[in-house]
Amino acid sequence: MIAKLGKNVSDAFGNFLYATGFLFNLAKESALFLRRRQVGFRVLVMQLLFTAVEAMGIIALISLGLGAVIVVQGISILPKFGQGKLIYTILLIVITRELGPLLTAFVIIARSGTAIATELGNMVISHEIEAYVSVGINPISYLAVPRFLGVTLSMVLLTIYFNFFGLFGSYVVTQFITPIQLQDYFQNLLSVMSVADIASSLIKAVVFGALISFTAIYQGFKVRVSSTEIPQVAIKAVGQGFVLCILADAVITLIYYV
Amino acid sequence: MMDSLIELQSVTVQAQEHISLDEVSVAFPAGRSTAIMGPSGSGKSMLLKVAAAIIPPDFGRVLMHGKNLQRLGQKDMLEFRRTSGFMFQDAALWENKTIYENLALPIQLHFPDRGSGEIKKRIHELLEPMNLLDSLDLRPAALSEGERKIVSFLRAIVLDPEILFLDEPTTSIDHQLLEKMLRMIKTLNERGCTIIAVTHDAHLTAMIANYLVVLRDGRVLEAADTAEVRRSANREVIEILSQVLSQAATYDTDILDLLEE
Repeated sequence: MIAKLGKNVSDAFGNFLYATGFLFNLAKESALFLRRRQVGFRVLVMQLLFTAVEAMGIIALISLGLGAVIVVQGISILPKFGQGKLIYTILLIVITRELGPLLTAFVIIARSGTAIATELGNMVISHEIEAYVSVGINPISYLAVPRFLGVTLSMVLLTIYFNFFGLFGSYVVTQFITPIQLQDYFQNLLSVMSVADIASSLIKAVVFGALISFTAIYQGFKVRVSSTEIPQVAIKAVGQGFVLCILADAVITLIYYV
Repeated sequence: MMDSLIELQSVTVQAQEHISLDEVSVAFPAGRSTAIMGPSGSGKSMLLKVAAAIIPPDFGRVLMHGKNLQRLGQKDMLEFRRTSGFMFQDAALWENKTIYENLALPIQLHFPDRGSGEIKKRIHELLEPMNLLDSLDLRPAALSEGERKIVSFLRAIVLDPEILFLDEPTTSIDHQLLEKMLRMIKTLNERGCTIIAVTHDAHLTAMIANYLVVLRDGRVLEAADTAEVRRSANREVIEILSQVLSQAATYDTDILDLLEE
């Protein structure tokens, strides 16, 4: 039992060191991406298309729904306490600072995180990665970096998009309950909005995007020989993605308030 | 003295707690055709990938003209890739790219200044004799196994390499295409290209190989000129060659006569 525990600790430490080295390599290659001859540029564009453009529909739907729910709940409860104006603060906190980045991250984990881990895992099994090495292409700079940058950039763009639709959706719902001028609505919203709200949202988007893409890429490359490993790494990419994003969210929020 | 192009020194590779190569030391002569033979699971493909610097050894060194391949700088490694080609046993074509893109990528990487017209011309030149011009815009999944292997071979030679690594190049390929492919390999070798091939194919070995490496259980049993191996008294070598070449394992049969067709 002690030997097994020792082996598990040793494996975990080895994995941690490997992941750290991988992250360092990925960060280094990402920094060099714009300076290199860009055979990987097309991969970046494709990643942006898949992660950002193709997810716009579902993000719009979720954010509109969330905005609507907050308004309905807020308008029915807050006036009872004479705090009707608080609805704007709540909208900003929930949509811009908290659930906007987090729900966007969940959508990206479910769509792109699994896709990246599965695709890279399949490429390892079919020796496509070795084929890239054989012609002189560094798989980190050609396969990992465009996915890393593409997902991170998509996360930022989709978070902005989520915020816009969430706040716009809440305005639409407000019209059915207590009609208000568009100008008044946005003036009220802007009066409670601070630079820190936007910064917090964008910082979370960047951190979540980096965590999601790194986890998915790392898991994809961890596949060794068998196709049965692929669903396992896809599940790990999703699980670890969720956990890391929630932890990072808590840390960033704590930093914001403390 | 033999002028070796690539030399493995005490190379050990351990994969999944299994030793694939065990303290292997072997040299591949420059400008010649080497056939690597051995039973399935003897580490032939691993040896080829280590020699091509695709998989790094866990222990030992791989030298090219005396330089450690693992320690080459980025520029020198890129030069090595430009002058070498590798054909995979399972083709390993990039599934998300068309056949054209599979063949164009190495050219675009190593010769970024070449225009699309020039690249197209080179690709047509390679695909036409193989009757694969109609497949230019197809994805690899749309091709038969044999056609995929041919494309993998063409990708390996698209840059006109000085060293060509071939992993079971002839399996799954029909007779007509096979003849064309063998002729292309022979022509490359006559032009000075070093060929290192893992094969079970007696015909290919007879046609191109003038140096043989025999492996068993991750260890090199024999590495010498074909004629020398022919005179080998090592029964293990004779047995392996007869098994590999699908012939009856009789010790009194001079199996290497097969290689002298």
